[in-house]
Formats: sequence, structure tokens, C-alpha cells
Amino acid sequence: MSEINLARQATLQQRLEPRVLRVLSWAFTGFLVLYILIPVLITLVMSFNNAAMIRFPITDWSVRWYADFFGSTQWMDALINSIVIALGTTAISTTAGILAAWAFERYQIPFRTFWYMLIMMPLFMPGVVLGLGVAIAFGGVQLGSYSFYGSRELVMIAHSLWAMPLVFMLMEATFRTVDYRVVEASYDLGGRPIGSFFEIVVPMVSTGIISSALFAFVISLNEFVMALFLTDRDTQTLPVLMWLSLRSAGTPRLAVASVILALTVFVCMSVIMLWYARQLRKVAR
Amino acid sequence: MAMDSGLALEVDRVRRCYGAVVAVDNVSLTVRRGEFVTLLGPSGSGKTTTLRLIGGFEEIQSGSIRINGERIDQQPPYNRDTATIFQSGALFPHKTVAENVAYGLRMRKVPKHEIDERVAKVLETVRLRGFEDRYPGQLSGGQKQRVALARSLVVRPAVLLFDEPLSALDLSLRLQLRAEIKRLHDELGFSAIYVTHDQSEAMAMSSRVAVMNRGRIEQIDKPERVFHDPANEFVYNFIGESCCMPLRVTSGITADKQGRAVDIRLGKGLADGDWRVYVRPNRVKIGGSAANSPNTLKAELHFVEFLGDVFRYHLRAGALEIFADHPGRIAKGLGDEVEIGWGSEDMKVFQ
Repeated sequence: MSEINLARQATLQQRLEPRVLRVLSWAFTGFLVLYILIPVLITLVMSFNNAAMIRFPITDWSVRWYADFFGSTQWMDALINSIVIALGTTAISTTAGILAAWAFERYQIPFRTFWYMLIMMPLFMPGVVLGLGVAIAFGGVQLGSYSFYGSRELVMIAHSLWAMPLVFMLMEATFRTVDYRVVEASYDLGGRPIGSFFEIVVPMVSTGIISSALFAFVISLNEFVMALFLTDRDTQTLPVLMWLSLRSAGTPRLAVASVILALTVFVCMSVIMLWYARQLRKVAR
Repeated sequence: MAMDSGLALEVDRVRRCYGAVVAVDNVSLTVRRGEFVTLLGPSGSGKTTTLRLIGGFEEIQSGSIRINGERIDQQPPYNRDTATIFQSGALFPHKTVAENVAYGLRMRKVPKHEIDERVAKVLETVRLRGFEDRYPGQLSGGQKQRVALARSLVVRPAVLLFDEPLSALDLSLRLQLRAEIKRLHDELGFSAIYVTHDQSEAMAMSSRVAVMNRGRIEQIDKPERVFHDPANEFVYNFIGESCCMPLRVTSGITADKQGRAVDIRLGKGLADGDWRVYVRPNRVKIGGSAANSPNTLKAELHFVEFLGDVFRYHLRAGALEIFADHPGRIAKGLGDEVEIGWGSEDMKVFQ
């Protein structure tokens, strides 16, 4: 009798186990999704609050703070600064990163590993260290009447310290997938090196270029510490202004700024995903 | 400008090493205008490196290369009047068939209307009309190689360089394209160097075949001559199938390497010493008429393979292992003694 019971128990346990596993994996997936989404969603909800302070419960809904944000010269200037600096960072880091990656992939370089580590190093450096370093190095530098310190250009250069290694890393991996025989075929048919690079190589790695450029853009847009160290009242970026105004007053305008930043990042990420999907389909064809 | 010698390509004592490895060792060869020369050899014999030296993708370390009499070995690939058909095709993946084919003409600044004309014509020649707007990813392996061929043909180079263009294709397609390249050569009369490790390809297409081994050309001659009159043991061994019988003759007695006597009778006796006797397995007669051949061997039937069109009889005589191809079954069982024979012209002896 007890034997039969044991057998039954075993089958019950055997039947339960996969279910438990399934429930657990779904539960944790749900937890992760909520964990990621809740701060964003709360910020989004708060940005439609009509009150003067960030506070629950919301009694009155409005887009008042959106109007306020887009009507404020100070906030719009910060947004424009952020975007201009992000675009500049993208231009600097993709140009430098792509060419450096091509050099690493194609040419014999002495002490290759050493240079590789050096290029990748800033990516693992704290923003405070880099920001302080750039601030000290360029703090007093002037070119005629043009002062580096506090300029957007300096922030672009500082942000490129992070963005360039990232572009370099992505593009190095991308270039490794290029069939070099195709480039040889171009030379063979009379194509010159620079022309072939732009006409043959670049289209073959367009996915890598687009995604690394968008990553560079997003990195610069999100960066706060270096920007705090290196900007002044005229060139401060959106994250910097948000931090400064958080210290004075926590109005829902901050939530609006957050939503706008988050939205920009979301759009960039979507473009990367769509582009990848399109390229994958092209390859499969 | 040098006097016109009728030579499209002259490679003179060219050498290329990689570290201690000599990839190409004093190779000299010429291609007359309209000639189709094949570099045939096992992998690692230096044939592809030779081709890449001519195309300009590798640098020579000594010697010279001339195209139409003009020295070009210091020129980059884009200044050399050659066009390569790569093994992988190496088509530009983001360009259409027509754009791929037009590329070389555009680089040569040929006027637009002439490009269109020539592209249309060459696509007609390789039977790819109607494929102009396809991308390489939408083509089959054979079609890709046709595009690669058209892309190189259309610029009318002094020498076309083929780098094992058919080796990635399956057999029937390979045979079909092989015949097509031969037809195009007959029609258009281009000069070409064709690298392959497939001897039937080399035999079928070439005006002359250069057999390469360890960076050197062992023999360069017409296909029939290379086949019937090999310059040395390597060439004989590499071209066509053969069985090797290592023999030792001591005071007139023929034995295997271990000294066991072998019942072999050769039309022309061998002097004392070590010999390697080669026969073509498809020329070896087995059974009834074999005993009448000028050369015979008595051996034990080891096992039989069915190869489709023939049976392959594996035989052993002492330490000798040879095989003979015969279309039918023979009335012998495994372990029985069998007599085989062959004509003197189907045999080569090397010391």
C-alpha cells in the first residue's frame, strides 16, 4: 500500500516540477519588466500633473508643464545644447572609431594589444575622472578670444572619450565579417583605395555604422557628470539643468524633461532594432 | 614601349616567401595572347599565390612581371590590366547584377551609353539577360559565378585571372560552367591564367598546363603531353589515377621492400636497385586476356569495391597493394590468385 502511495507522490512531484519552473520564470520576467518600467511610467504619469510640485496623488491632469517646458528659453537652450553636443560627439566618434577600427582590422600594427587596451580604457573610466581630467587640461586654454572651457566643443570631445571606444569596438567586430576578397575585387577592377572604401566597404558595414552612431548619440545625450564639470550657464545640457533645478524646486517640469530624454533614447533604440531586422531579412533573402 | 612579342603576360623568375616558407620559388611562365594557361597543383603548391602576385594582391620579392611587354610588378592592382574571377565570386553584395558588371567600366571612366551597351552585351554572352536588377543574394551559386565572369570580361583585360572559380559549385554545375568558359574562350579569344586543383578541369580547358608543386613549376606543356609524357614522378602521380609498386631488384630477382619475392614479369627488365613502378588502374587488365600482356603480376584478391561504372579490385602481392578497374565481375573469390597485366605505355618506372 505504501509503495503505491510513494509512486503516486513521485508522479505528482514529476508533474508539478515543470509547472513550478514555468510559473517562476514568468513571474521573474514580469518582475523584471515592472522593475524597468515603473520608474519610467511614474515619470510619464507625473509629467501630466497640473500641480506645482511632484507629488501624489494627482488631482488635476494637464499638459501645462509641457507648454511650460517648450516655452522656456532656458530649458529649450539646454535641450538644444544636449542635441548639438550629441550630434557633434556622434560625428567625431564615428569618424575616428571607424577609421581606427579599419586600421586595426586591415594593417599590421606593432603592439596591437597594447593600443587596443589603451583605446578601450576610457570606456571603463569613471566619468568624474575623465571630466576632471579634461577640465584640468583645458581649463585655462584659450585660442585667441575663444575659450575651450565651457564650450560645447569641449563637451563633444569629452563625450567622445566614451563614445569612440564603443564605436571602435562595434566596428572592429563588424569589419571582421567583411569578405576582403570583395574589396580586392574592387581594386582589381580599377577602384582606388579611398573610393573603394566609401563605395564598397561602407555599404557592407552600414548596419554597424548606423548602430554605433546611434549608440554614440545616446551615450552623449545621457551623460551627466562630464557635462556638469565642463559646461557653464550657456552651454549646460538637459541632464545638468535637471540636476540643478532639482536642487531648487521639484516641479513636474523635471518629469517632462525626463520624458523627453527617455523618448529620444527610445526612438534611437527603435531605429537600431528596425535597421537590424531589415538587414537580417536582407541577408536571409 | 617594348617590341610586341605577342605575349600577354611574362612572369620571370618570381619569388615570394612568407617567413621561412617559400610559397613561390623562381616561377617563370608566359601567356601568349589568346592562350589559356592552367596552374594545376595540390593545395599549398603556390598556384594561388602566383595568381595573386600577378593580380597585385601580394608583392613579389624578386623577379619581374610584364603585361603586354610593360613591367607592372611594382604597380597596385588598380593600375594592372588584369581582372580576377574569385573562388567566392566576391560580388559587391549591395549592388545589382548590372551595377556589379558596370563597376570596372565606371572606374575606367567609360562614357555612360557605352557602359550600358557593353553591360547588356556581356550579360547576353554569359546568358544572364533579365537578371540585371537582381542582387547577388538572390542568385544561385552558378549565376553568381557567371556575374563574376561577366564583370571581369567586360573590362577586356590583357589577362583574365581565374582563382578556382568552380571549386565551390556542385559537380553538374561545375561541368556545365567549365564547358561555358571553354566556349567563351573560343569565341572571345581572351588570354587567361586559370588556377585549379582539379585535373580534369585543367585538361579540358587549357592550351597549356603548368603543374605546380612546392612553389615550383614541375612541367608546363600541352595537356596531352603532360598526361602522356610527364616530366617526373610528381607530375605522373598527380595527373590521372595511378598505383605505385615499390620494388627492390637484387641480382635479377624482383621483390617487395621487405624482400619477399613477387611474381611480376616486366616487358623490359629492371636493373638491380630500388624502383617505383606505376600503372594506371583503369588500364590494368584483369582475368582472361591479362596473361597475354607484356607486363603481368600474380596477386591475391583482397577486396572489391563497386564504383558505379566499374568494379575496383584491390589486390595484394607481398607488401604491394594495387587496384585494377574492370567493368564486370570476375570469377574469383576473395583470397584467390589473380593475374593482371598492362601495356608498357600504361606504365612508368622511376628509380
